[in-house]
Amino acid sequence: MTAHPDIRPTRWAALAALLTTSVLLTACGSGAGGSDGGSGRAASGGTLTFAVGSDAGCVDPQQVGSNDTIYSVRQVVDSLTDQDPKTGKIVPWLAKSWEVSSDATTFTFHLRSGVTFSDGSELTARVVKDNFDAVPKLGALGTLAEGYLSGVKSTTVVDPLTVKVTFQQPNAQFLQATSTHSLGIESSASAKRTPQQKCSQGVVGSGPFTLKSYVQNQTITLARRTGYDWGSSLWSKKGEAYLDKLVFKVVPEAGVRAGSLQSGQVNAISSVGKANEAALKGGQVTLARRANPGAVFNLALNNSRPVLKDVKVRQAIQYAVNRQEIADAVFPTGTRPATSILARTTPDYENLGTDLAFDAVKAKSLLDAAGWKTGSDGIREKDGTKLSLTVKWFANSATNQPALELIQQQLKAVGIDIVLKELQISQIASVQQSGDFDGLWGNLTRADPDILRTLYSTKLANAYRLPTSPLDTALTRQAATTDTAKRKELAGQAQHLIVRNAYVIPVVELQTQLGVSKKVHNLDFDASSRIQLHDTWVG
Amino acid sequence: MRGYVIKRVAQAIGVLWAAYTVSFLVLDFLPGDPVSAMAGAGADTGQVDPAQLAALRHQYGFDKPILVQYADYLGKAVRGDFGDAVSTGRPVTSTLADALPQTLQLTGAALLLAVLLGGGLAVLATYTSQRWLRQLLLSLPPLGVSVPTFWTGLLLVETFSFRLHWFPAFGNDGIRGLVLPAVTLAIPTGAQVAQVLAKSLLTALDQAYVETARAKGAGRWRVHLRHALRNASLPALTVVGLLVGQLIAGSVVVETVFSRDGLGRVTAAAVTAQDIPLVQGVVVFGALIFVVTNLVVDLVYPLLDPRIVVASGRKAGLA
Amino acid sequence: MSQDLIDDATGAALGLPARPVEPGSAHEPGRHVDLRRVRRFLVRRPGLLLSALIVVLVVLASFWPELFTSKDPLKGVPSENFRGPSGAHWFGTDELGRDVFSRVVHGAQLSLKATLIAVAVAFVVGSLIGLVAGFVGRWVDDVLMRFVDVLLSIPALFLSLALVTALGYGTVKVAVAVGIASVASFARVTRSEVLRVRQSVFVEASLSCGARWYSVLGRHVLPNAAGPVIVLATLDFGSSILAVSALSFLGYGAPPPAPEWGTLISDGRNYLANAWWLTALPGLAIAATVLATNRIARALDGEWSRQR
Repeated sequence: MTAHPDIRPTRWAALAALLTTSVLLTACGSGAGGSDGGSGRAASGGTLTFAVGSDAGCVDPQQVGSNDTIYSVRQVVDSLTDQDPKTGKIVPWLAKSWEVSSDATTFTFHLRSGVTFSDGSELTARVVKDNFDAVPKLGALGTLAEGYLSGVKSTTVVDPLTVKVTFQQPNAQFLQATSTHSLGIESSASAKRTPQQKCSQGVVGSGPFTLKSYVQNQTITLARRTGYDWGSSLWSKKGEAYLDKLVFKVVPEAGVRAGSLQSGQVNAISSVGKANEAALKGGQVTLARRANPGAVFNLALNNSRPVLKDVKVRQAIQYAVNRQEIADAVFPTGTRPATSILARTTPDYENLGTDLAFDAVKAKSLLDAAGWKTGSDGIREKDGTKLSLTVKWFANSATNQPALELIQQQLKAVGIDIVLKELQISQIASVQQSGDFDGLWGNLTRADPDILRTLYSTKLANAYRLPTSPLDTALTRQAATTDTAKRKELAGQAQHLIVRNAYVIPVVELQTQLGVSKKVHNLDFDASSRIQLHDTWVG
Repeated sequence: MRGYVIKRVAQAIGVLWAAYTVSFLVLDFLPGDPVSAMAGAGADTGQVDPAQLAALRHQYGFDKPILVQYADYLGKAVRGDFGDAVSTGRPVTSTLADALPQTLQLTGAALLLAVLLGGGLAVLATYTSQRWLRQLLLSLPPLGVSVPTFWTGLLLVETFSFRLHWFPAFGNDGIRGLVLPAVTLAIPTGAQVAQVLAKSLLTALDQAYVETARAKGAGRWRVHLRHALRNASLPALTVVGLLVGQLIAGSVVVETVFSRDGLGRVTAAAVTAQDIPLVQGVVVFGALIFVVTNLVVDLVYPLLDPRIVVASGRKAGLA
Repeated sequence: MSQDLIDDATGAALGLPARPVEPGSAHEPGRHVDLRRVRRFLVRRPGLLLSALIVVLVVLASFWPELFTSKDPLKGVPSENFRGPSGAHWFGTDELGRDVFSRVVHGAQLSLKATLIAVAVAFVVGSLIGLVAGFVGRWVDDVLMRFVDVLLSIPALFLSLALVTALGYGTVKVAVAVGIASVASFARVTRSEVLRVRQSVFVEASLSCGARWYSVLGRHVLPNAAGPVIVLATLDFGSSILAVSALSFLGYGAPPPAPEWGTLISDGRNYLANAWWLTALPGLAIAATVLATNRIARALDGEWSRQR
C-alpha cells in the first residue's frame, strides 16, 4: 500500500513545492466551494444540478478535452493514480502502489483488488492493458490521452493485478498523466468499442457515478454507483458518494446561468466571468476559484500562413496585446496576465513577463520594419494585401468573446484587422487538422510542462504548423530526461523559444471560477482545477 | 366526398415529396465539408486522419453522384429513415422523435394560450361598447406581432425568474418551467388570432342572420357568442395550419432563449454544426406538420360548415 | 374549395383587403398629392405620425449614424464597462465599456441593409413568379403555384435556416435566406392581383382592341396590381426585420464586433443578471421599428383611400 514516488524524489518534491505555492496564491478563493463542511452534517442523498456552458459532443473521458464536459465525465471513471491538489504529489487510487524505472521508461502498477466496473466486470491488469492499447488508436479524437502514451512500446500483464507500461524513450510525464481523466480506466468491453460509439453512448467505468443519460447539447445525467468502495486516497468519505444523482445542464449564456443559480434553479455553475461576480456575490452563493496550470489562454497562430511566417508580424501582435487590460475587464477577479506560455502554477514555469509587456509603439515599428504600411482605413497593407487575420474561437467559456473583442480592438489600434469566427467546441479537432485558421483561441490545462510538447512539437500533431527548429530538441529532451534540474532548464528554454519567436501569443492565465450555492458542501477542485464530486453533499 | 379525400391526401404527399426535394437541393449547395465536423469530438489539439474522413464520407454517401444520392436518400426517407445525424451519429428520425414531445408540449400550450388570449381579446374588443376599451384592445395585436420573441422571452426571464423567482429561467422542469416559454411563443400567435378573428367577427356581426337573431330578441352576449363567433371562427380555423407551422418554427428561438430541450434547440444546433441530414429532417418534418394540419382542417371543415359543398373539380391548394 | 377561404384568411392575417379595380386611376397624368389632405390625414393619426418619425430616424441613422452619436460603436473604455443608462451614455455601456446607444445607431445600418435586401429579394423574385403565373396562366401557372405551395408548406424560419446552413453565416447571406423564405407570399398576392386585373372589363377590352400583351401589362396590369404588393412589401419589411434579427440572435449574422441588432441582444444575454439595458434597449429599437413600419403599412393599405 505504499506509493513509490521516492524513485525520483527531487522531481516530485519540486513539483510539490511549486503547486503548494500556487495554492497559497489562490487560497483566498478556493475555500468557497463549501469545502469548510462546517455547517450542518453531511448527509447522503439528493441531487446536484450543475449548469455548464457547453457540450463537447462526447461523453468519453479519454476523448474529451473541454472543462465543461470533463466536470461530468470525470465522475464516471477512476484513474490509476490521483494528484494531490495541495502538494502536487501523486497518490494511490486504482493502483495501490507503483515503481518507476530509474530511466523513466518502465512504469509498473500494482492494482487494488476487488474493484468492479458498473457492467460487473473486474479490474485486472488485462483491463488496463486493453485501455492503454486502445488509447493510441483514438488518434485525433483523443489527443490528450494519445499524447500521454506517445512512444509507448508495450503494456504487459505481469500478473492479474500487476501491469507494466514500457516506453521507447524516457517519459518523465507519464506518472502524472495516469492521474488525469484522459487516462481514466474503462472496462475492457468499453475500451474495445469504437471512439464514436464511446462518444455518443458513453463508457463503462468504475467511478463513483455511472452515466444514466446523455442528450447532446442538453443534459448529462449521472447516478450514484452503489457498492463503490475504491475511492482515491485523497477523498474524505469512504465508500459510496453522498449524492444520488448529478444533473449537468447545458446553459450557454453566462447571464442565464448566473440568474438560475441566484434563483436556486441550479446548485452550481461553471465559468463565471467578471461581469457576473457582483451579481453573485453575497446572498446564497459562493465563488470558488483556482488557477489552472498548463498552457495559458493564448492566441495560437497558424505559422504556415505567409503573413505569419514573418517573425516581426508575430512579435508585433505580441507587443500590441495589453494583457493587464484584458485580465482586468473580462476575467474573474485575481486573474493574472500571462507571463509565459505556461501558467505560474505549472512546474518549471519561467517568468518571461518583460517579453510579454504591452508596447504599442514597438508593435507599430515592427510592422513598419516588416513593410506593412497603414492604409486609408487604418488597416495596414503590403503589396495590396490587407493585414487581416481570421481568428476562430469556441463559446465554451463566457470570457472568450469579450476577451477576443478587446484583443481585436487592441490590434486594430496598431493596424491589424481581426475577423472573429465562432465555432462549436465539437469542431475543434477538424479545424486544427485542416489548418483553416489564422489564429485559434484557447488554453490547455495540465500540471506538467510536457503540455508544451503536446501542443508545439513538430513531431506530434503540430496543429499550429510551427517550423522545425531548436524548440523541437528542447521539447523532446525535457520529456526524456529524469534529471529535475536539467528538465527545468530545458522546459525554460522551450518557453523562451516559444515566447521570443511569438509562435503563439500568450494572453492571460486561466483561473477557473465556479459559482456554488451555499447549500452545497465539499465541491472540491482536483489538481487540474476540475472537480471531484464524490465527497460533495447537499444540505 | 371520397374522391375529394383521396385527392387531398395525394396532394399532401406530393407536397411532402417536393419539400423533400427542395430541401435536398438547397442543402446540396453546401460549400463546407459536413464530415470533417464529425471527426472532431472535443479533443484539444490534433489532426484528423484523412483516411478516416474518406471512410466517413463513404459511409454517408457523399462520394456518390448527386442523382444517385438523391434516389438513395429519397428511398430511405419514404421509409422514415433520414440517415444519421453527422454531428452525433444518431439516426435523424429518432433524434427528432426524442425531441418532439418537449416541443409539442410547448407549442400545444402556446397554441392554447394564443387561442384563449387572442380569441378573448377579439371577442371583448368587438363586444364592448366602450370606445376607449375597444381602441386599447385593438392596439394590442399590432404590438404583439411587432415584438421579437427572443426579446420578450428575455424580459420575462429577467423579471419573473431573476427578480421575482416565480418561474425557472431555463429547462424543461414541469408545468412551472413551461409557463414563460409558452407565453413568449403565444404572444405573436395570439396577436394574429386576435386580428383574424376580430376582422371576421365584425363581418359576421353585419350579416343578416345576426340581425335576425337580434330581431328575435336574443341577448347581446348570446348573439355575439352563439351566432357571430361561431360563424366567424370558421375562417379563422383555416389559418391554424399556418399558425402551427409558425409555432414549431418559433420554438427554435424560444427554446434557445430558455435553453429548453426540444426540436427547436436540435435545429439550432444542427444548423450551427452544418449537420445536413438533421437540418433536412427538420425541414421535412416542419412541412409534414403543416401539411397534416391543413389536411385535417380541410377534411374537417365541410363537416363544421354545412354551407360548404365540396366542389371536387376545384384544385384545393395549400396556404 | 379551400383555396378561396385560405386565400382570404391569409389576406386577412396579412391585413390585406379586397380592392376594387380602378382603371387607370392610379396613374392618371396630372394627379398630384394634395398636401392639405396629407396634413389632415396625419394630424388625425398621431400614432401614424410617430411611426413615420421613427422610420425617418431609423433610415437617417442607417445612412448617417454620426448625426445621432459621435461615440465609437466598436471601441470603448474597458474600465467604464457596465455603466447603466445615463446622460453620458443614454443606453449605458456594455461589457467592454462601449456606448450601447452608439452601437444601436450604427447597428441600424447593418440591420436595415439586411432587411432591404431581404424585402428586395422577396419582392423581385416573388412578384416575377406571380406575374408570370397570373399573366401566362395555363400549365405555367400550375407549375409555379405548386412550387409556391411547397415553399409555403415549409415554415419560413425553417426554410431560412436550411438556406443559412447551405450559404453560411453573414449579414447578406442571412438577408437572402430571409428574402427567399418570403418569396411565396409575394408570388401569391401578385398572382391574384394580376388575375383580378386581367379579368376586369377594361383589360379584356384593350386586349380585344388588339393591344399588345406587354403594353397591357405595363399600362394596366402592373399599375393596378402594384398597390397590394407594395402594401405587402411594407408589411414584409417589418417581418423581415424580425426574421433577420432572429437569425442574428441565433448567431448566424455578422461576426463580432459588428453591432447587428439581434447580435446585440444575444450578446447582452450573457449579462442578463447584471445589466438589463444590454438586452432591453436594443430590443426596444427593434420593436419600435417593426411597429412603426406595420403601422405605416396599415395606413397605406386602407385608411388613406377610405379617408377621402
